[in-house]
Amino acid sequence: MSDIKLSNVSKTFGIVSVIDDLTLTVKSGEFLVLLGPSGSGKTTILRMIAGLETIDKGTLEIGGQRCESLPPGQRQVAMVFQNYALYPHMSVSGNMAFGLENIGLGKAEIAARIAAAAKLLEMTSLLERYPAQLSGGQRQRVAIGRAIVKQPKAFLFDEPLSNLDAALRVRTRVELAQLHQRLQSTVVYVTHDQTEAMTLADRVVVLNSRHVEQIGTPMEIYHRPATRFVASFVGSPAMNFIQVKTKLNGKKIGIVAPSGKWITLPNASLGKGDVELGIRPESISIVDRDADATGQVKIIERLGERTLLHVQLDKGPLIIVQDSGLSKLNINSPVKLKFNVSQISLFGPDGKSSLRSAAS
Amino acid sequence: MIGKAFTSYWFPVLLIVPFLAIYGLIFIYPTISMFVLSFTDAPLIGSGNFVGLSNYARLFHDPRLLVALWNTAYFVILSVIPGAAVALLIALAVQRLSGRLQAAVLALFFLPFIVPVSVVYLIWDWILNYQFGIAMHWLDALGIPRVPVFKTVTWFMPAVALITIWWTCGFSLLVFLAGLRAIPAEIYEAAALDNASRWTTFRRITWPLLWPVTALVLTIQLILQLKIFDQVYLFSTGGRPNDTIVMVQYIFQMAFVDDHGGRAAAVAVTLFLIVIVVTLVEFQLLRLAGGGQKK
Amino acid sequence: MMGSRFQITKLGAWLITSLTVLIALAWVFPLYWGVISSLKPEDEVVRPYIELWPQTLTFDHYYSALTKSLIGLWYINSLATAVGVTVITIFSSMLCGYAISQLNFPGRRYLHILILACFMVPTQTLIINHFVLMANMHLLNTWLGMILPQLIYPVIIIIYKQFFDGVPKEFREAALMDNASEWRIFYRVYMPMNWGITTALAIVVFIWTWNNFLWPFLAATQNETMTVPVGITQVYNAFGVYYARRLAAAVLAALPVVLLYLFFQRQVTQAITLSAGIKG
Repeated sequence: MSDIKLSNVSKTFGIVSVIDDLTLTVKSGEFLVLLGPSGSGKTTILRMIAGLETIDKGTLEIGGQRCESLPPGQRQVAMVFQNYALYPHMSVSGNMAFGLENIGLGKAEIAARIAAAAKLLEMTSLLERYPAQLSGGQRQRVAIGRAIVKQPKAFLFDEPLSNLDAALRVRTRVELAQLHQRLQSTVVYVTHDQTEAMTLADRVVVLNSRHVEQIGTPMEIYHRPATRFVASFVGSPAMNFIQVKTKLNGKKIGIVAPSGKWITLPNASLGKGDVELGIRPESISIVDRDADATGQVKIIERLGERTLLHVQLDKGPLIIVQDSGLSKLNINSPVKLKFNVSQISLFGPDGKSSLRSAAS
Repeated sequence: MIGKAFTSYWFPVLLIVPFLAIYGLIFIYPTISMFVLSFTDAPLIGSGNFVGLSNYARLFHDPRLLVALWNTAYFVILSVIPGAAVALLIALAVQRLSGRLQAAVLALFFLPFIVPVSVVYLIWDWILNYQFGIAMHWLDALGIPRVPVFKTVTWFMPAVALITIWWTCGFSLLVFLAGLRAIPAEIYEAAALDNASRWTTFRRITWPLLWPVTALVLTIQLILQLKIFDQVYLFSTGGRPNDTIVMVQYIFQMAFVDDHGGRAAAVAVTLFLIVIVVTLVEFQLLRLAGGGQKK
Repeated sequence: MMGSRFQITKLGAWLITSLTVLIALAWVFPLYWGVISSLKPEDEVVRPYIELWPQTLTFDHYYSALTKSLIGLWYINSLATAVGVTVITIFSSMLCGYAISQLNFPGRRYLHILILACFMVPTQTLIINHFVLMANMHLLNTWLGMILPQLIYPVIIIIYKQFFDGVPKEFREAALMDNASEWRIFYRVYMPMNWGITTALAIVVFIWTWNNFLWPFLAATQNETMTVPVGITQVYNAFGVYYARRLAAAVLAALPVVLLYLFFQRQVTQAITLSAGIKG
């Protein structure tokens, strides 16, 4: 049992509310990613779990134990910091031993745990080095090793990959995923990088301006965004948004595509008036007829395996459409576009999705 | 802030207790008792009666006060700005050099600062010795009549000021060097591309960018030299101490030679207030001057 | 045309460099002259011409200075005073600087302001009351009485505070996560991080204290309790008009701090620059 339960948690800095009435459960063994832009409160949540920020209201349980008034060291969680915070004057093994010495573990036990962690992370040869003698990736491993030796109930990661260069970041991401599979430990992971969230998470919590926008598996987040914010934040290139009108056709209600075509959406709960249609670039295909929208190619970005076309709709905004890598279209070519109806999202004026969640 | 709720109070208290004990005993308590003492007619050791402001009344009629004030001010004028100027010149010269040569030259200029004041006194007393001093041989060679430097009121302060500049210049030199090194090389490269001459580069780039450091050096030196005692006292032994007296020396004489604790405390309070007022005024002036530079 | 101008610039640079070196040598000449005079026989010292190297090299004056004065005793006094002041100042300042920088406690801001205010107060004006206080505590002519009034170095506290301010807060947080007590966070994490700066500051405080004149001059009323820099100015009569012997005593007084400087140039430079309020 090492689940984490935050119940009705609130936090203010002075008069500014940072977290308001948050309830969140991290299941035992789950890899939960807190995803959001800076200032969304994701780091604050992590630090509240760690005990580095106080919880003003509400309760925190870690592995069934009430923790909100315990000091950080007694919560039995380990944290990997963004800049790793390796003690510069201690060797790698010294860094790993420090936390264990503090809880009074015996020397033999400490040595055994360090050896096991070093073997797991393939850094046995680094144990006597000092942080200044390590590369960025090695420091990252040591920081993780320092967390592992504590055998914590949960791991907390604060943007751990953001200080690595792009290639190393991809490799470390894979290693983290493997590590989690082996250890089966509870992980709370903060990032603003959606790729990390998508690839690592069992579940993602999308945060925006201090509240939860959506909690779901990566696929839910991507394909069924609950709000316009989630839709726009997740996915690269971002989802296209097009203002459309709703229209009653007999008994069925649907939307009017830019071409004037009527599209019925079985899962939509629509009222009268305008809605925003959201569609990802890869859910738009180029067709010869029966188009949902028409437009002209303005910019072509060739990425190799695919091509991104920036298409100015004849009746609508500039949208991005994904075409094959060998796209033969040219600048100013007219195109006819068809939307994959099952991948359409609709957002009402309040920014919430107008699709029933049962839809998927 | 960090883990606010979890920090106990006894630990910070434990950490600051040594500081509080030391500064309470030898800083705050003596400062208060200095003020108290200045209102009594106590000798140096022993108690006295409360005499109100009469120590101050007597002080302001003592001609020695004016002499001490003037000498202190004169010494400040002779040492602060010239000292800073010399240090800046040396700093500019040292900065041009590089590697081991720079380290060696810097060490040579800095070395006198490391030496105790009494050693400075003994060496210069020897160099300027009326009978055997090497400086006197040079005066002879130049055909200039010898001067008993530390026994002549005219020569005393300029000589002590010069020796002080020689002695303490190393400090200001280090500060200026740190300031010069903080100016990014790109700025000089940009100036070179803009065809700036050496003098223009100094006047339009180095000097304004270095101004905060210059102000710092001037402030430190001014406050330091207002409290001058050691050199003046040492060089005046065997000279004419009554004519070359400075403020701290005046306190010293009143307390330790004349055994007037109360009256000496009144002098001390006067100097105490002068230093604080000068410090505050200088901070304000430099802030204004610094503001003007930033345009 | 360009070539010749370049040559002139190069020549000028060479001239300025040579001039700088010459002035630097002239700058230390008084020190050199003091040392060299102390190595000459007394009759050679007073000869009316300039000898840059002694004709007869002698260490007699050092021998007499060491045997015919209390300089051995003064060395011990100086050493005890300087070590005492250094150790107490460094530790109390480090603790206080750490507390102000890293810990939360009521009155923290006021403490900081108090320390900054200490900079403005001229300690030289406190000599009377220091003397009275030490006399009342019967500490005149003792090491403790010599040490106590020299413990006022607010700048050291501020340097430590700034140093600790510059340490990323994650170290403290990581240590908290590692279940370290407040004492262990200070002792095991923060203190070892600043050994470099502590060494530098300790050397400089030692030098400053060794060289200090005014208070040791007042606090020692007997020859036996003087420090070296005070002693060598007070025993004029003992040496009479033996100029070389006085200079030998002066060299002995300066030797420890000069050696310290020569061995630890980098640290001294760093600490002095920090003490002026510049990040080094």
